[in-house]
Amino acid sequence: MKGFGYLAKEGLKNVWSNRIMSIASICVVVSCLILTSAALLFSINVAKVVDSVGQSNETTVYLKNDVSELEAVYIGKDIQKISNVSSVTFLPKEDALENFKSQLGEDLFQQIDENGNPLPDAYVVAMDDLSLYEQTVKDIKAIDGVDSVNSRQDTARMLTNLSRIVNLVSIGVVIALVVISLFIIANTIRATMYSRRFEISIMKSVGATNAFVRMPFLVEGIVIGFISAIISTVGIALLYEGVMTAITNIIPFEFIPISQIILPVALAFIAAGVIIGMLGSTLSMRKYLKLEGNEILGW
Amino acid sequence: MIDFDNVSKTYPNGTHALYNITLHVDKGEFVFIVGASGAGKSTFLKLIMNEEKPSSGEITINGKKCTKLKRREIPYLRRHMGIVFQDFRLIEKMTVFDNVAFAMRAVGENTVTIKKRVPYVLDLVGLKSKMKNRPNELSGGEQQRVSLARALVNNPEIIIADEPTGNVDPEMSHEIIELLNEINAKGTTVLVVTHEHDLVREFHQRVVTIDHGRIISDTKEGGSVIYTPEDARVSTDIDVDKILNDPQYPDNSVILPE
Repeated sequence: MKGFGYLAKEGLKNVWSNRIMSIASICVVVSCLILTSAALLFSINVAKVVDSVGQSNETTVYLKNDVSELEAVYIGKDIQKISNVSSVTFLPKEDALENFKSQLGEDLFQQIDENGNPLPDAYVVAMDDLSLYEQTVKDIKAIDGVDSVNSRQDTARMLTNLSRIVNLVSIGVVIALVVISLFIIANTIRATMYSRRFEISIMKSVGATNAFVRMPFLVEGIVIGFISAIISTVGIALLYEGVMTAITNIIPFEFIPISQIILPVALAFIAAGVIIGMLGSTLSMRKYLKLEGNEILGW
Repeated sequence: MIDFDNVSKTYPNGTHALYNITLHVDKGEFVFIVGASGAGKSTFLKLIMNEEKPSSGEITINGKKCTKLKRREIPYLRRHMGIVFQDFRLIEKMTVFDNVAFAMRAVGENTVTIKKRVPYVLDLVGLKSKMKNRPNELSGGEQQRVSLARALVNNPEIIIADEPTGNVDPEMSHEIIELLNEINAKGTTVLVVTHEHDLVREFHQRVVTIDHGRIISDTKEGGSVIYTPEDARVSTDIDVDKILNDPQYPDNSVILPE
């Protein structure tokens, strides 16, 4: 298109001369993008955890609190006798407490040390065939002295449920934010068009095509979308590292490193930002471009 | 060049702005369109600019039938016309140069051509020395000449001036029309809408008088110069009362939009 450079420059000027509205739109688009990607990254990570957890066949069997050490040994042997059980490892309550201490810090456990260790002894049980999981758990629970059976599969199930809820909620939030983004970009551009209505009326009177009149405003929308995408990429990279480090302090698991996902995330952000920007400006221009002469000036 | 064939315009709110206008303007003509406010001059200009479509009849500009024109073709038709507005419509924050260059940029001209053409046109209107000034540093007459330069810069075949002297003092008014005359002498068709009778009297050009949406006199068709409807009423050449009260025309009492 002839004169594209000039039009693009005008578009950039629009973003700057209308900066308060531009910043407002950028903020909304950034929150939209970050929330969307946070929900997405959450479910990707959950899926990964669920995958690895679902495949591990370790199940923790907690013993009743009043079980003596000798009784515990017998219970271990009983568990070993169940046909599907491949190995049994004893996890004394002292070790369990140490594990917690190393994960969560000494201070928290001072009180617990004084009052005695409340944790039960446990066995870590591995199984041969996971398809027989339910039956095997039932058999273990039947053994006298076994308090409860907790597998990481339960954790996996819980996580899957949680991620499903998060997904549902975030879809709602994202739809709402997309609508708000479109609305605010459309309004931003409408404000710019209004402030430049005089120039638009002159352009039309000398025979500028609608495509030509539209271009700076389209550029404005795209620039707002693009800036939002860049800010969102930086934002999500910082947030992701921080949140993931915090979470793994509580629940140790291997999260997907940011370096692996940042490129597709950035590309998706740019695509989404640009599309939202274009749509927003197109929405605001449709009516305006039909006006002629003094109608543009509101006379 | 410009052909109105039995054109009428009624706005959606019911006001009748023009009735059965038939007018032919040749290439290279200079025509004054005169009439009191509300006579239908603005509607006449809007129809030429294709800002409005006629309710009936056909307008042909440069061989193009306006009623058959597609929306996307309108801008290209407008490139054959240069418009001069009564209120100049200059962009305050731009220099004189940029105001004129704006019209070229709007149709996608390249920078090299712009840099050559704009000073040339500003020279034509005698404002080459004020290229870097802003509109508010110029007098009304000078501003109107900038507006004229902007209308000329894309080399149109028709110049349409809507009350070009309305905001300019009398000596300057004369200068503006003189300038339009010079432009016309180079072959550009010029249409000047005005209600300043003294100016019209001074330049012996074709005068078309519009009143209440009708052409009541055209000097080219043997009519006399009628400066206002009031003048027309005392004119002996034309029986305006008969036209205005003729039952074949719709109600005369409607207020016509400017």
